[in-house]
Amino acid sequence: MSQSPRTILPLTRRNLADSWRGLLGWTAGVTGAIFLYVPLYSSFSGENAGFDDIIASLPEGLASTLGFEDLSSGAGYVQATYLGLIGFVLFTIAATLWSSAAIAGDEESGSLELTLAHGVSRVQVMVERSLGVILRLVWLATVSALLILALNDSSGIELEPINVIGGCLTLLALGVLAASFGLAVGATTGRRAYASAAAAGISLLGYVLNSLGNQSADVEWLHTLSPYHWAFGNSPLSNGADAGALGLLFGISALALVIGGFVFTRRDVSA
Amino acid sequence: MTLAIETRALTKRYGRHTALDGMDLAVETGSVFGMIGPNGAGKTTAMRLLLDIIRPTSGDATVLGRSPISGGAALRREIGFLPGELLLEGRVTGRSLLKHYAEISGPVAPGRIDELAERLGLDLSRHVRKLSKGNKQKLGLVQAFMHEPKLLVLDEPTSGLDPLVQQEFLSMVREAQHNGQTVFLSSHVLSEIQNAADKVAVLRNGVIVKVGDVASLRASAVRRVFVDFADASAASIQSTLAALPNLDHLTVTDGAVVQVTGTVEGHIDALVKAIAPFHVVDLRVEEQDLESSVIDLYSKEANK
Repeated sequence: MSQSPRTILPLTRRNLADSWRGLLGWTAGVTGAIFLYVPLYSSFSGENAGFDDIIASLPEGLASTLGFEDLSSGAGYVQATYLGLIGFVLFTIAATLWSSAAIAGDEESGSLELTLAHGVSRVQVMVERSLGVILRLVWLATVSALLILALNDSSGIELEPINVIGGCLTLLALGVLAASFGLAVGATTGRRAYASAAAAGISLLGYVLNSLGNQSADVEWLHTLSPYHWAFGNSPLSNGADAGALGLLFGISALALVIGGFVFTRRDVSA
Repeated sequence: MTLAIETRALTKRYGRHTALDGMDLAVETGSVFGMIGPNGAGKTTAMRLLLDIIRPTSGDATVLGRSPISGGAALRREIGFLPGELLLEGRVTGRSLLKHYAEISGPVAPGRIDELAERLGLDLSRHVRKLSKGNKQKLGLVQAFMHEPKLLVLDEPTSGLDPLVQQEFLSMVREAQHNGQTVFLSSHVLSEIQNAADKVAVLRNGVIVKVGDVASLRASAVRRVFVDFADASAASIQSTLAALPNLDHLTVTDGAVVQVTGTVEGHIDALVKAIAPFHVVDLRVEEQDLESSVIDLYSKEANK
């Protein structure tokens, strides 16, 4: 029997083809958030803008919880508004929805059974569907970086371009971490609710541990447990991406995917 | 004789529930093999085990000479599968979805998809989620047949199809058989299997109750009989008929016309000869469908 001409990444392409409308919406969301926040910096910056006074007037703890200590520099401002807050939330939600749908959602709807009955292995399904989710996150990170770079001069944030890329890469790493947990738990359990909880949970946990660690020196050790702090603790927009943190985040993501894939190849798929 | 499917004591348990209990099955290459049984009998479980969607608790299966687990993707490329509950979603056209499935199954000849769609009367330009149940089923049949696999595993293939399309499906099955393909199909209604299958296995509660060709199953089928007599006493009829060994569920209603009902297993010859001396007003024989008759047979055996 002749071997059929195999095409490249059929499942990933299907995944992307099925989701481009949604991705368009997410792109609009990311674009809107950046255009809303970044240009505002120019109206706050400068000697007499009184930005520091506003921060000082916030209730104690709130500013540190939100990561607002350093709003007067361009890097601190973009970190506090987009990278560490709105962008992080958008990436977390996107990663949660996409990762839980990729395998668990497909299994609950019953379509995974038909896909697996074809000439694909479980490993291939895991790899290609994960890739589909990660590629979409890469797209959002790329859009973020390009838009911030485009506004770099006009808004006066004056970031080093390499640090903008490093910052968005760090944001991507957090998104990928959440997505990997969602994909791994989805592949292990086949339940969309569990997958969503895992993806959103790892992001939320990181954020909460970071915020608690900010409150006082006594609990600062919580930072060591927080992926969010690993990612943003050294202010990547002013100091460049932390290679160690990126390695850790991507490494844990890869490990989660491997474990998820391992269980996935050994369990029953339900319809 | 080669076997397209062979299972040995194939068993699947979910906790304390046994979905499939030691199934031994042999499906010859090039045959059309039907599996009937009520919902929950284990038909879908058996098919999922053959496709490696689920894994057996014990026992094993050989599909096209290979184990479903180690055969993997390469083996499944040679199988066409139609799931029992076909859930197709997405904002894609039928053509686009079939193109995707063609990419992940065996090679599909050019024009083959259109040919099948035309035969079944399926519009490929419509979005999948807007298709009716019957049209989704047609799409499922096209994706199962399009790469002309060596083995077709079809779970309830005619559900949702109107009678004309069912006829077309039967001719597709015959063509597949003519091409040397093996067809393994299931149903909870017998009529579709009666016309398609060479051999039938009856499954109940995860156990194969009976395997045979359609003709022999039909010969052992149970028939319901209704006889009306005139000018005879209920008692004499009762005593005559009660002696017949293959007549069960006998009821005799007295009156101006004595009405008798019962069920006959196998041939009705003995009954006809036994009632011949009487004045028979009416005689009706109704064949039960094969499934319920075989299950009747089975439950009677189980109760002995």
